[in-house]
Amino acid sequence: MNIWDSFKIALSSIWNHKIRSMLTMLGIIIGVAAVIIIVAIGQGTKKQMTDELFSTDKNAIDIYYEYIPPEGETEVFWQEPELTSEDIETLAEVPGVKAVVATNQGWGMMTHEDEQGEMQITGVGAEFFRARDIQVVEGRALYAADNDGLNRVVLIDTIAREKFFKETENPIGEIIDLNDNPYKVVGVYESPLPEQFRNKETGEMLMPRTVISMMFGNREIEQLQVIASDPENISETGRLAADTLTVEKGLENGQYSTNDFEDYEKELNTMISLLTLLIGSIAGISLLVGGIGVMNIMLVSVTERTREIGLRKAIGATRSKILLQFLIESITLTSLGGLIGIGLAAVGSILVSEFSPITASVSPLIVLIGVSFSALIGIIFGLLPANKASKLSPIEALRYE
Amino acid sequence: MMKLSDITKVYGKGSLEVPVLHGIDLTIEDGEFVAIMGPSGSGKSTLMNIIGFLDYPSSGTYELNGEQIASAKESILAKLRNEHVGFVFQQFFMFPRDNAIKNVASPLVYAGVSRRERTARAKNLLEKVGLGDRMKHLPNQLSGGQKQRVAIARALVNNPTILLADEPTGALDSKTSEQIMKLFTQLNEEGKTVIIVTHEEEIAAYAKRIITIKDGRITEDRRVSS
Ligand SMILES: Nc1ncnc2c1ncn2[C@@H]1O[C@H](COP(=O)(O)OP(=O)(O)OP(=O)(O)O)[C@@H](O)[C@H]1O
Ligand SMILES: [Mg+2]
Repeated sequence: MNIWDSFKIALSSIWNHKIRSMLTMLGIIIGVAAVIIIVAIGQGTKKQMTDELFSTDKNAIDIYYEYIPPEGETEVFWQEPELTSEDIETLAEVPGVKAVVATNQGWGMMTHEDEQGEMQITGVGAEFFRARDIQVVEGRALYAADNDGLNRVVLIDTIAREKFFKETENPIGEIIDLNDNPYKVVGVYESPLPEQFRNKETGEMLMPRTVISMMFGNREIEQLQVIASDPENISETGRLAADTLTVEKGLENGQYSTNDFEDYEKELNTMISLLTLLIGSIAGISLLVGGIGVMNIMLVSVTERTREIGLRKAIGATRSKILLQFLIESITLTSLGGLIGIGLAAVGSILVSEFSPITASVSPLIVLIGVSFSALIGIIFGLLPANKASKLSPIEALRYE
Repeated sequence: MMKLSDITKVYGKGSLEVPVLHGIDLTIEDGEFVAIMGPSGSGKSTLMNIIGFLDYPSSGTYELNGEQIASAKESILAKLRNEHVGFVFQQFFMFPRDNAIKNVASPLVYAGVSRRERTARAKNLLEKVGLGDRMKHLPNQLSGGQKQRVAIARALVNNPTILLADEPTGALDSKTSEQIMKLFTQLNEEGKTVIIVTHEEEIAAYAKRIITIKDGRITEDRRVSS
């Protein structure tokens, strides 16, 4: 008598009572499916939120200005201090800072010969190319002199080059029209943005930020980012840089701050764990109820099959063999329920991913845990009925009517 | 050799006590062919169950080949039932969802015999009891007599040294009864100890020793010389 024989006896007895087995498994099925789908959605949500939070460089951190009204006052109108290239140089000196990215933004209608298109323009300094690792494929990058001298020059990305220029044409040195003003193309660059964030229609362009400031009326530096040499210390480096800038500017009613990613991540984690715990315990209760259902049915089954048990003992089955047979039966019942539950959860995850922005995925680990857990329920709740069966005296069991 | 001394059996407890066997002394040597007779309710089946390791006596000792087993552990009795005896029950008892082959082979499952060998031995025995054409039938598709023959085949499948049969011919016509008894005689000649319970004189006549029980006591024990 090996496990396989016990397993076959178990399967056939489950099969012989299809409806009853199915109803018994229902509690386990629902419990396991609920647990797995909730974990899958939880993990999907977490992944999505972290992806959103950290979509930019892992080692880049934003620095922004915060207005702090003087005590007693509730000033609503306030002016953000102007930042200049000198401030950026100061920031670059802060220990741990690898590079500083200072930009502003503008939109413009670009025209070149017959082609026309709305373009996003980013105003940058010379340091931008190294900080963002911009690949210039034709012409040159921007120099510090371009900013200082308010040179009306632009770099277009490869998408714009394709749209506005023929492949054989050399765009370098060409004059293009932007909001009815002439600019000279000095280079073509590969956009550093991930594929899905690029403007595939018209592309984008880079320009000295002083020129944007002058032509569009923007402040010279609207977004400030520092890039840490060590991504591990990004929060500290960011804070240090922000504090340095606050002191440097001699601010009284305001300060420079950073978003603390660590805090964000921690908060997010606690929230998701809490949610998972809550719904997990509900699912746990469902599994408990399912387990009790299994125990109940197994007890009924033992009573119903008293004669069978008696006969098995009469032909030489030991207590442990009978115990094993009924344990395997209840484990098979709950594991089967677990597997069906996992299948349902997989279907549910696909549906959730299809019809909501969350990508829920059932991981192999969770499947493994799900099956082992339902098997464990089978053992726990099968033990009592199996023990009862194994203790029957053969002759009394045979005589049971 | 089986040696039962002062065996009693009391069913129930307290005021519901039913004493069934009162001090049975019985020694059966290896290779004997014994028939137990007696009126209904005299305790024949009760005694057979004790001899066949299916039940514990209330008191007394049971020696099997020199070893005390009256209060042996369940697992030891299970092993004895599996390897040592073949038991034919008065009410047959079958696994209702298993066909004749599987029913006959069932003791071998617990003896750890491979599936192929189990099937081969079961088929062989079914042929021997004349059920070669009913191998795939379920118990409810068999007549009483056919079920009895399946039960006999099952009792023989583990090649036991002792064959116990409680009314083995109760549901059989005289012709089949004769066949079965000839089979038992042959098995006895091959060296097996055969013990049967019967109330038919003609059946008992096949045995070499006839024990009569009345009200839980042995009233007669005679050897027949054929
Ligand atoms: N589990 C039990 N509880 C109470 N009394 C029992 C039990 N089993 C048997 N008896 C009683 O023991 C007595 C002997 O029963 P047993 O089955 O041994 O008789 P038997 O000689 O085999 O009879 P038969 O020829 O009808 O089969 C009967 O009076 C019966 O009522
Ligand atoms: Mg009887």
